[in-house]
Amino acid sequence: MIFLKIFTTELSYHFRQIITWIYLVALLAFIFIMKSVITTGDGVYINNSFHITAVSVIGGMIWLVISANIAGGSAARDAETRMHLLTFTTPVEKRFYLGGKFFAALFMNALLILTLPIGILLSFYLLKSADSELLPFSVLPYLNVYFLILLPLVIIATAFQFALSLITQRSLMSYFASFLLAFLGQILAIATARLFNNWDLVKLLDPVGISGIVGNELQTWTLLEKNTRLIRLEGMFLWNRMLWICLAGGIFMLSYYRFQFATIKRPTWFEFRKKISVSSVIHSGIISTSAIKVPTATPDFSLTSKFLQTLKIAKASFNRIARNLFGFSLVALAAIVPAFFGKNILSNFGIPVLPTTPQVVDFLSPPLGSIDSPYVIIPLLILFFTGDLIWRDRDANSNDLIDATPISNWILFLGKFLGIIWVIFAWMLILMLGGSFMQIALDYYHFQIGLYLKVLFGIQLVNYVLFALLSMFIHILANNKSLGYLCVLLAFILISFHDALGVHHHLLVFASDPGWEYSDMRGFGNTIFPWLCFKIYWAAWAVLLAVVAILFWPRGRLNFKDRIQLAKRQFSKAILKISIIGMCLLLLSAGFIFYNTNMLNKYVTQEDILNHKAEYELKYGKYRNTLQPQLSGTDLQIELYPEKRKADIKATYTLTNKDSVEIDSIHFGSFSEFELQNVEFEKSAKAVIEDRELNYYVFQLKHALRPGDSIKFSFEVHYKSVGFQNSNNRSLVEKNATHFTNLDLLPLTGYQPNYEIKDFQSRKEHQLPYRPELPSLYDERARRKPILADQNNFKVTLGTSKNEVAVAPGNLKKTWEKGGRNYFQFETDAPLRGEYSIFSGDYEVIKTKWKEVDIRLYYDPRHTLNIDRMIKSTKSALEFYTKEFGPYPYGHFTIVESPDNGNGMHSEASMVDFGGQFALLNPDVTPEGFNLPYYIMAHEVGHQWWGGAGVTPAYVEGAGVLVEGLSVFSGMQVLEKDYGKGHLEKYIDYLHADYALPHSLASPSLLQADEPFLYYRKAGIAMHTLQEYVGQDKVNSALSQILQKHRNGDLPLVTTLDLYKELETVTPDSLNYLLNDFFLTNTYWRLKTEKVEIEELDTDKWKVILKIDAEKFTVDEEGSEKNIPMQDWIEIGLYQEKNETPSEIYLKNHFITSGKQNIEIIVDKKPSFGGIDPRSLLIDIRVDDNLYFLED
Amino acid sequence: MNQDKILSIRNISKTYAHGVQALHNISLELPMGMYGLLGPNGAGKSTLMRTLATLQDPDEGEISFMGIDVINQKEELRKTLGYLPQEFGLYAKAKAEDLLDYFAVLKGITNKAKRKELTESLLKQTNLWEKRKHKVGGFSGGMKQRFGVAIALLGNPKLLIVDEPTAGLDPAERVRFLNLLSELGENSVVILSTHIVEDVSELCTKMAIINEGEILSEGEPIELVNNLHGRIWRSIIQKNAFDTITNQHSVISTRLLSGKTVVHIYSEANPGSNFEMVTPDLEDVYFSAINGHIGKASLNPAL
Repeated sequence: MIFLKIFTTELSYHFRQIITWIYLVALLAFIFIMKSVITTGDGVYINNSFHITAVSVIGGMIWLVISANIAGGSAARDAETRMHLLTFTTPVEKRFYLGGKFFAALFMNALLILTLPIGILLSFYLLKSADSELLPFSVLPYLNVYFLILLPLVIIATAFQFALSLITQRSLMSYFASFLLAFLGQILAIATARLFNNWDLVKLLDPVGISGIVGNELQTWTLLEKNTRLIRLEGMFLWNRMLWICLAGGIFMLSYYRFQFATIKRPTWFEFRKKISVSSVIHSGIISTSAIKVPTATPDFSLTSKFLQTLKIAKASFNRIARNLFGFSLVALAAIVPAFFGKNILSNFGIPVLPTTPQVVDFLSPPLGSIDSPYVIIPLLILFFTGDLIWRDRDANSNDLIDATPISNWILFLGKFLGIIWVIFAWMLILMLGGSFMQIALDYYHFQIGLYLKVLFGIQLVNYVLFALLSMFIHILANNKSLGYLCVLLAFILISFHDALGVHHHLLVFASDPGWEYSDMRGFGNTIFPWLCFKIYWAAWAVLLAVVAILFWPRGRLNFKDRIQLAKRQFSKAILKISIIGMCLLLLSAGFIFYNTNMLNKYVTQEDILNHKAEYELKYGKYRNTLQPQLSGTDLQIELYPEKRKADIKATYTLTNKDSVEIDSIHFGSFSEFELQNVEFEKSAKAVIEDRELNYYVFQLKHALRPGDSIKFSFEVHYKSVGFQNSNNRSLVEKNATHFTNLDLLPLTGYQPNYEIKDFQSRKEHQLPYRPELPSLYDERARRKPILADQNNFKVTLGTSKNEVAVAPGNLKKTWEKGGRNYFQFETDAPLRGEYSIFSGDYEVIKTKWKEVDIRLYYDPRHTLNIDRMIKSTKSALEFYTKEFGPYPYGHFTIVESPDNGNGMHSEASMVDFGGQFALLNPDVTPEGFNLPYYIMAHEVGHQWWGGAGVTPAYVEGAGVLVEGLSVFSGMQVLEKDYGKGHLEKYIDYLHADYALPHSLASPSLLQADEPFLYYRKAGIAMHTLQEYVGQDKVNSALSQILQKHRNGDLPLVTTLDLYKELETVTPDSLNYLLNDFFLTNTYWRLKTEKVEIEELDTDKWKVILKIDAEKFTVDEEGSEKNIPMQDWIEIGLYQEKNETPSEIYLKNHFITSGKQNIEIIVDKKPSFGGIDPRSLLIDIRVDDNLYFLED
Repeated sequence: MNQDKILSIRNISKTYAHGVQALHNISLELPMGMYGLLGPNGAGKSTLMRTLATLQDPDEGEISFMGIDVINQKEELRKTLGYLPQEFGLYAKAKAEDLLDYFAVLKGITNKAKRKELTESLLKQTNLWEKRKHKVGGFSGGMKQRFGVAIALLGNPKLLIVDEPTAGLDPAERVRFLNLLSELGENSVVILSTHIVEDVSELCTKMAIINEGEILSEGEPIELVNNLHGRIWRSIIQKNAFDTITNQHSVISTRLLSGKTVVHIYSEANPGSNFEMVTPDLEDVYFSAINGHIGKASLNPAL
């Protein structure tokens, strides 16, 4: 009965709170925004279960962070309002009191979160557009998400929130509980999964489901499954629910038993003794002292005194936060813990990166709104502590005392603001220590203290301080604690997701900026000045917000009307002056920024780009099949002025008619905003179309170009980077950082279908006709179009400033100095195809030779770690490919460091560039290690045969397999040749690793591959497996056949069908199924060694019985699975392990059929482990059960 | 400046959002010295005190203190104000001396040496010196109240507003506290709000009785008592006779005395033989006012 009374009283309290309804509205708003933002794919209905599940999980997260106060309030409100003096003294039993409170909160939360399924259901019907079709209504998905996802979350979260608030007797601690669950839970889950490389662990550990359900489970659903599939309470998910409910129950019980109906701390013995002696003094003193005499201390209201007051309040605020359990501990944790995992954090493709300060600082300094960094805790802590400071006096009920003192509002405001600034300062110091500690832990001692200071105490501090001010402003204006927290959180979410919400201009997103970046070559480049301009602009806003906050500072018990009155009265001359200064600064900086971003430069949104592309297609798509001569020669005169961010280009193109009919008009154009100037044709030609908006030009020749004839035309491009832009302030030409390609500035001939919008949905929105993203392999017409067509004899003269070296593809013919500038002339000795790059920077150069090929490597003098490795790999690869596939066409090979922080390499004809982070990769090159950079270099050299200068496939499905897949395979062979089987196996594991990531099994076949995963990973595995089964020589000879037949780029162009045909000719009939499984269908194996039994027959004779379970199945593009009877040759291996180094005892192919089977082998050594497909040649989602380990 | 009218309150009215009229056209003129504001709980005392302490704005009316417009020059008034609210909390985890030091800075005493001297003296005066290193969260009601006084006394206030200060004090503390206030009253305005009549009668030079947002009576305590002379009658009755008396007379107060009931009634004429005339005290004035026998209307003819 008492329980019921407490329960209903508590519940009705929540119902009467406005904030409860605000939570409800917030959840509904989220649902409706999601509904209108998300577009479903082709074949997925609007009310699909994927949407219902995903929105429920994310909505659950939002509920978790905004409405923690419900449980927190139930647990601690009595103590906070000092009601506990009354309630605790009533004869209510603890279990009824806490039970009533807890279950009321639980019930309230369960009710509140019911908003999600109901809201989602409503959103389908209320936001239904005319042409969208709905699946017939079923209550099942809604019940499913409510009872399996949301209700357990409510139970877990309420228990955590309630317990933490109960223990501390502070309702706000419930937000910390939410924080722990929402962020720490996720981060821990992902970190653990990474550590053990088992993504199932995320499903197990993530309490909320953002990464466990949305990021993991849902990713494995196929298109068709998205419609109706539901989360099932089984496997890891079941364990997850059990684990968290147990944890929640545990912490709840702990808080329950700790709770006592008393709050006054019993004095310790020491205090007790002291108390007695003191109280006697008091009594003796009371009557006898009658007069009071207070020394006169005249209050001082001078400016100095106000300054001292500000400091005092700042100090008190700082101490308040410093003494909070979470004040520094969380940031310290987030700084120190990563230091121990530096090797994993500062790594690329699993290879550690040299922990230079720029690398560490990059990790420590995410943008303010970034939510996938552990440092998201900093804005969240700011949100919490600013609220705490603003509400401190009212929470302590000291506000009347303080408000009646003559302290000015602005001092109270500035004091608290200064306090939080000091705290942020301390946090930055902690981050800096954590970063240095990470470097020390990785045995790296070259600290760039200056960079730490610039980034943490310059950039990050300013961002956080601006956010703190916004947070204080909102808390003051909201004048309601829960509402304040909700609004600040909302502001943070808006800052984080401004791009997704369609707000792109940084003048509109609080505290934002165009971004900055730092690379060793570029430094901060041109990113700091625009950053500063934006920060001045936001600082001006901050001043105005501060003025409003001070005017509305909550003082006394004023109602809204009185507050406005008071604000008016306080609007003094000084405040007016500050406001005017702030306003002027705001307008000036806004004007200056707008002038730069929108007038000096074109302000281009993603939508503008799409519109531009759509217009291009609509206007000029009709020329798609107009015959055009091909580019056969390029002669460039480029003057680079890196300091002025300027380049002048004079170009002459030679075009040759390679078709069999006459061509009478030349089409060309570029996608850069820099227009072509002084276009002149060698023979008489007249401009028919000169579209400077879309940069499309058509010239009519007076005399048509006959087959085999050529024509020259020349033009100029003047590039100049002026001012700054709203985003990406890298210039193409910049001090020690010049890098651009022909696509950036120079025109291409003919209409460019590549420029068309590819995405199906966007095409629909722009009323463009349907076309597949990639033409079908079986589209005969498409098969006539190559990826790259040109056969371009290239010549360039490059001028650059006197400190820099300019680089382009080709032999370096000449260098000279003129007028204080350096000049370089390059010329290729065989035609280039497609893209080429120009670089200029303060490079160090290494020149060497492989046979007749000149190899030149241009690198930043600080980045020497991988130099020798790159050269060695290049030479080895050139040697190997020449032998296996055919000759290298050029007498030159150039490797250049790109000025940016890229972590990979990029290949063009006769030239490869690598990013600043690639240069820092620090692989283990011992036999147990994995020299990935060496492989990558060999892979890029492989592109000289596959893609680039070599084979150029038709632009249809599967083209990526020929370009990337074959380069992967080539690189793997070079890695194996030079570093042995160990390194190769690491690479194969690396290829397989992505299969372990949660994703849908549905996929097209390799022949019709349409995505990078297939191009790189699956094609690499397929080719390597084939090599193991069929033999390296045979496979390589098949590949060299392709090159021999298609090298010159003539029709018919090569496709994956040719690859298949060549492989078929070298593959014995008995293994034909393998080709079929890897290339024609999307086949998976399920191989498992259930048990290995051994029996000693004789000395040195062991009988081994392996119990194998095997299965093979295909999954088509829609996701339907089909079992395939197995009659496959699969390796069985046995190994002996001595001193932790396994050695092979037995490895042979066995004929395996579907189902369980026993395999008997006699060997002469005692095996310690063994199993089926030990080298992971086949595609098996779970490779960890292939081997069985015997116990000794 | 008129010595008698240092603080003048003119036509103050305040109605809360939920419709309760807390103050109704209140006008008072306060001289130097201690001024008692007497009234039952919910009479509007605290609203008036908070309004005087710049923490609340009236809907209408004006207040001035020594030339300061209290409503529009809040910060000016706060420079000479000491305020002890009826109910207040303290930063529980702060040490007494640190917290007093903090308040001293808020009051503008930024000179470190002087501040140390002042806080030390105040802690001694309020008998908290021994407790200066203790956290105020562990203070008893009386200690907290004394600490509040120490805060109020920081910065030599010319206007001291104390709202129901004696509520949590034991008798000895109360005496000492009131002594302290009366001393302060020698050269400043001290406004003491209370519902305990003795607080006022013992100390205040002037007083007002307030109920339901209105001033019922105002003046010097002696004068108010004298005005009532001859109108208060007493009878000692049995419990069962109480209803009869209530019906026939204007009972202002009853009190139990050795099992019998002592009744005071207000009557301008002799109510009869059962009654004897008593010399009125301040308590009679208070109860007469509260029960509507003296107010603005009925007071005037008597004056």
